[in-house]
Amino acid sequence: MHDALPLTRRMMLAGMGCACCTGLIGAGEALARVSPGAMRPLIGPGYRPTDADERGMWAEYERVEQEIAGSNLLITDPNLVSYLRSIVGRVGGVAANDLRIYLARIPEFNAFMAPTGFMVVFSGLLTRMRDEAQLSAVIAHEAGHFLRRHHIRRWRDVRRRTDLFAIFAMGAGVGGAASGVYLGDAVRLAQLGTILTLAAYSRELEAEADAMGVSLMAETGYEPLAAPEVWRQLIQETEASAEMRRRRPRRGYSLLASHPAPETRMTDLRLSAAEVRTAGRTFDRGRDRYVAALANHRKMLLDDQVKLNDPGASLFIIRNLAADGWTGMLRYYEAEAVRLRGRRGDRELAAQSYADAVRYPDAPPEAWRMHGYALIQAGRRDEGKAALARYLQLAPNAPDAAMVRHSIQQ
Amino acid sequence: MIRSALVLLTASSLALAGCVQTRQFADVEFSPPQGDFSLLVMRPYVSVGQIQTGGLVEPRAEWTEQARGYILEALRQQQAARGGRTEILETRGGVRGMSDEEVAEIERLFGAVGSAIVVHRYAGLTLPTKRRQGLDWTLGQDAVRLGQATGMDYALFLNAQDSYASSGRIALQVLGVAGCLIGFCAPQIGGGSQQAYASLVDLRTGEVVWFNVLRAQTGDIRTREGAAQLVDRLLGHMRAGRNVRNRRN
Amino acid sequence: MKKVLIAFFAALSLAACAGGGGGEGGYRAGGFGSPRFRLIEPREHDVARTMRVTPTMRWNRTPRMIYDIPREENWTLHGLPLDGLTFIGGLEDGRPLVRWQRRRDIRQVPNFRADMSPPEIASMIETFYRIRAGSVSFTMTGLQPRTFLGQPGFQYDYEHLGGNEVTRQGRVVGAVIGNRLYMILFDAPKRHFFPEIIPEVERIIDSARLENERQRRG
Repeated sequence: MHDALPLTRRMMLAGMGCACCTGLIGAGEALARVSPGAMRPLIGPGYRPTDADERGMWAEYERVEQEIAGSNLLITDPNLVSYLRSIVGRVGGVAANDLRIYLARIPEFNAFMAPTGFMVVFSGLLTRMRDEAQLSAVIAHEAGHFLRRHHIRRWRDVRRRTDLFAIFAMGAGVGGAASGVYLGDAVRLAQLGTILTLAAYSRELEAEADAMGVSLMAETGYEPLAAPEVWRQLIQETEASAEMRRRRPRRGYSLLASHPAPETRMTDLRLSAAEVRTAGRTFDRGRDRYVAALANHRKMLLDDQVKLNDPGASLFIIRNLAADGWTGMLRYYEAEAVRLRGRRGDRELAAQSYADAVRYPDAPPEAWRMHGYALIQAGRRDEGKAALARYLQLAPNAPDAAMVRHSIQQ
Repeated sequence: MIRSALVLLTASSLALAGCVQTRQFADVEFSPPQGDFSLLVMRPYVSVGQIQTGGLVEPRAEWTEQARGYILEALRQQQAARGGRTEILETRGGVRGMSDEEVAEIERLFGAVGSAIVVHRYAGLTLPTKRRQGLDWTLGQDAVRLGQATGMDYALFLNAQDSYASSGRIALQVLGVAGCLIGFCAPQIGGGSQQAYASLVDLRTGEVVWFNVLRAQTGDIRTREGAAQLVDRLLGHMRAGRNVRNRRN
Repeated sequence: MKKVLIAFFAALSLAACAGGGGGEGGYRAGGFGSPRFRLIEPREHDVARTMRVTPTMRWNRTPRMIYDIPREENWTLHGLPLDGLTFIGGLEDGRPLVRWQRRRDIRQVPNFRADMSPPEIASMIETFYRIRAGSVSFTMTGLQPRTFLGQPGFQYDYEHLGGNEVTRQGRVVGAVIGNRLYMILFDAPKRHFFPEIIPEVERIIDSARLENERQRRG
């Protein structure tokens, strides 16, 4: 985002925050599950604020939205955007026509809701979801924050409180945010989400949004069990990522997150999902629609993730998607993740996966290129050159065609 | 985001000694615009908030709106007194003959160039090749095209933030939020604080000809007088570039 | 190595106080030597301990930063947030392009291997930009053979976009010589700065030669 938020305003954002699912964070207090049946929207269609604090908040966020809308970090493919809009329209409840959605090209698991009704989804979320129901779980959860007026409720709560905890929690959120700055401003947008996660909603409001979300999903026929699945995947991915680097899973950024309890949240979501799944009703997973909508973007999404060289997370994501069936694309990126990992023996493992990948009709041309170089490295020069030739045949205008041609001639 | 980061960084690099500090740099050949000139103000950004306990700043829509109105009014009057005509570019789409994206690219490039000015002029990491060169940066042909499309002589980038302490604000503010973000500290000590910068780009050459940063603990831009004071502090005392001054002497 | 951006943020913390989080992938500034930029005159220079180049303009040499690898040198014309010219004077087999990378870092820049294929070297550089310089999108625009330091090497061109929304353009010319990777990298905003400076960068690349063996041992 260009321009956007002065730090002071970022704090405002932090205070009122918007994020949801990214960090595995809870405020620490034990809290009973909120039943989906108890959740009603607190606003009607076309809601506008009247109080001074909320109007101030809206005015700020309207400017933020302008900046976001003009950002070149957005993925603006009209087909994909209208697909996302259709999901918002389905699970947005009474606010369905008021909600806006933006897709930012940032390879992180994150989404956030602004108090004015626009939502930002990070491309990393699309990378990870297996079907439309899973994606709708996140979107419905975010819509839940809006429908339950969480921003202003949280803001008023924080403002009222003067205890050190609240203040330190804010500080910790910002501290976490600072690291993002070194990575560039964009990831500051990601950080925005992170800050928000931390400072943002209390455990209580998260529980409300979870319940509201599950309720919206069931009402509109999405499989509510997809909601706890998203949490399970996130927990597993975090663990896999940490384990690969031999460290403890990130339990959040907060000094105070004594008890993040994502597992509790997942369990609560399971109970809530069971509650709304009335017998005899069928629920939709929308996997085919999801796969079709992402068809032209899957490669970019996987590429953005794998090139971060976080092999634990990348391999978890790829194998999780492959639970619905391996493809040449998934095999290729599995190989890429292993190759970048670069441990002893990984070169051979990667070579095997490239070889597997090119047996699928949907293998990206790059799979042939890497397969070819892997063969050459293994001393199988002729086969390698044939694979490189195949790459050039499939991608004659590839930006590295000159280099590959040169390799063939060697 | 660059713009706002700029403000804090530049502000923080000014010594914390006094109440009102400004520090300006100019191209060695810069003469403050005078006579018949035109000034395009690039999506000026103004924000006024109330500082809450713990350092949170609650934006106040009506204060911001008021302050923005007063500042732009004061700016027009100030420039008119020098013979200048001021136009405000409210949105990126407001330039005939240029797309939103082209205008956005100029803003983005200014963000990067502004960062360089901050790092290598304000933060003291002087570049030997630019030592004693005044302000020696350019936005290139894109800015010239903006001048051709709009017929304006100068572009002005302007950003002002102000906040006022509410009764709940406590000493922890120093630790808090305005503190060590982004690897630098800008503790806001005292009641309220104004931070602003302004920069002038010559649209005939594309060069960034003047840059000024203001940090003040006094003044209230929610009032007409306070806004006029800010505009005067920020833009009222433009100094000519070194070569121009030398020739005059 | 110096991705401009990192250096920039390090400079920020230098300018005021060190602080901030330094969480995942964060950097703690500090331990700088003399944080002064030095003037590079337009004549022949030793760079990165192993190469000699001849610029035709005056440049600024960036002070060494703690995350610089040993045989590395960085120059800039207009400042760190804008353009950066990096010399890597022989990265050894098995080493990464960055210093202070911990085994426990979640995201890591891959180690260089002397037998890497050209696309592997390209993706190593790409990963560097993505995890150390905040690029969110990164596109190869060209990869072709090119002689460098008198040896068969490569030229890698790319564009990338960071969080400040500035589209940047980069060119790397390099070669693996004696199991070491030698490179000159140039990176700048695509608008104005890259096209303005690239002719000079090309002159520098073409002027580059390896210091002879005896000098290097000495």
